[in-house]
Amino acid sequence: MDYLLDGLLQAFVLLFTGNEETYSAVSVTVMVSSLSIVCCLGIGAPLGFLLGHSEFPGRKALRMLTDTMLSFPTVVIGLLVYAMLSSKGPLGGLGLLFTIPGIAVGQTLLGLPIVIAMTASAVENMDARLKPTLRTLGASPRQVLLTTLWEARFHMALAAVAAYGRIVSEIGISMMVGGNIKWHTRTITTAIALETGKGQFAMGIALGLVLLLVAFIVNLSVVGLRRMAER
Amino acid sequence: MSMPLYQLRDVIQEYGGREVLCVPELDLPVGRITGLAGPNGSGKSTLMRLLAFLEIPLRGVVRFAGNGNAGSDCGVRREVSLLTQEPYLLKRSVAANVAYGLKVRGHGPSKERVGHVLEMVGLDPKLFMHRAWYELSGGEAQRVVLAARLVLQPKVLLLDEPTASLDEVSVERIHHAAMAAREQWGTTLVVVSHDMGWLRNMCDEIIHLRGGRIQQPS
Repeated sequence: MDYLLDGLLQAFVLLFTGNEETYSAVSVTVMVSSLSIVCCLGIGAPLGFLLGHSEFPGRKALRMLTDTMLSFPTVVIGLLVYAMLSSKGPLGGLGLLFTIPGIAVGQTLLGLPIVIAMTASAVENMDARLKPTLRTLGASPRQVLLTTLWEARFHMALAAVAAYGRIVSEIGISMMVGGNIKWHTRTITTAIALETGKGQFAMGIALGLVLLLVAFIVNLSVVGLRRMAER
Repeated sequence: MSMPLYQLRDVIQEYGGREVLCVPELDLPVGRITGLAGPNGSGKSTLMRLLAFLEIPLRGVVRFAGNGNAGSDCGVRREVSLLTQEPYLLKRSVAANVAYGLKVRGHGPSKERVGHVLEMVGLDPKLFMHRAWYELSGGEAQRVVLAARLVLQPKVLLLDEPTASLDEVSVERIHHAAMAAREQWGTTLVVVSHDMGWLRNMCDEIIHLRGGRIQQPS
């Protein structure tokens, strides 16, 4: 057990002395997950609204597909994105393989179903009195749409936090599409896997602590947002 | 005699193939307070939704100030405001709730106007202006919802059972606020209630509905 205790102590030293390699992985993780979540919300929120608000042929099938995509394994997404971005793939010319934007493409695909499904559910479950209330206050159809989205803001924030939690803790996409390149595409999760394999527990534990802190903040946000959304 | 504000001619409304309202002729004059009475399912709320232009009748015409079937016209809809049986508060502060109608009309938020209508419904602006939607009791929420209609100074205010399950103080406040709207802005009111005493006290005339048909204007 001593080596674990030593690892924990060294982890604190790495964190509090600002170890460059440790913080490089943290900074890459923050960059790539932020980029991914922005893309997820930008694409997913309008799609989720359409799915929850509109009636069109194939809507139920699309809803089922979105729900199925919620449990899509990250390594399969990684495999698909790798195949698309590799030099032989249709998007190989973009040069995104082993780059942060490349990982963000895969992570966006991972978070997108969460944002779409949760936004659609939020819109579907909006209070039935909202629309007539807005109309009787003089809102135009466009204003009804925008206000409905704003009324669902806590649910949408909940969707964003849930998607972020999944994105920040995934490893399959980051490893396969990012390549785990030191100083460039090495994220917290890929670094933990690598350092543990090398027997370097200290950095693994240090990065694990950061990841746990992120998970704690995410869960705290979920509890708070859920409480706000249910009011 | 001036033209009635509303003219309903041969209006029929159906839900799922079932006729719920049949009004061959009904005129509502400007500036009057009209009460609608009748048992549940008699068509009162349907008539209110037609008057609010939230629905278009299956047959017949609802003229507003001489314009026929203006239901899809946002401009006409903005002259009328309906307070429904179960009002909905937006998930924002009291001030933002009250000012919402002004905002969608492109007017800036007017603290004075919001404060004035909160006073009209008996809520102290200093205490209530910045409260969140979830910090209000049922009676306070109902009064905020009424204030959100009053701030628009509508030509027509439609109140669908505004006092259901409210305490005496809230009922009295809503009564005073509605009367003040008519006095200050000449607002025409249509009020639905099961409380006949309250209706008689408030209205210039009462229309009785039964089975979707007008029984006897008094």
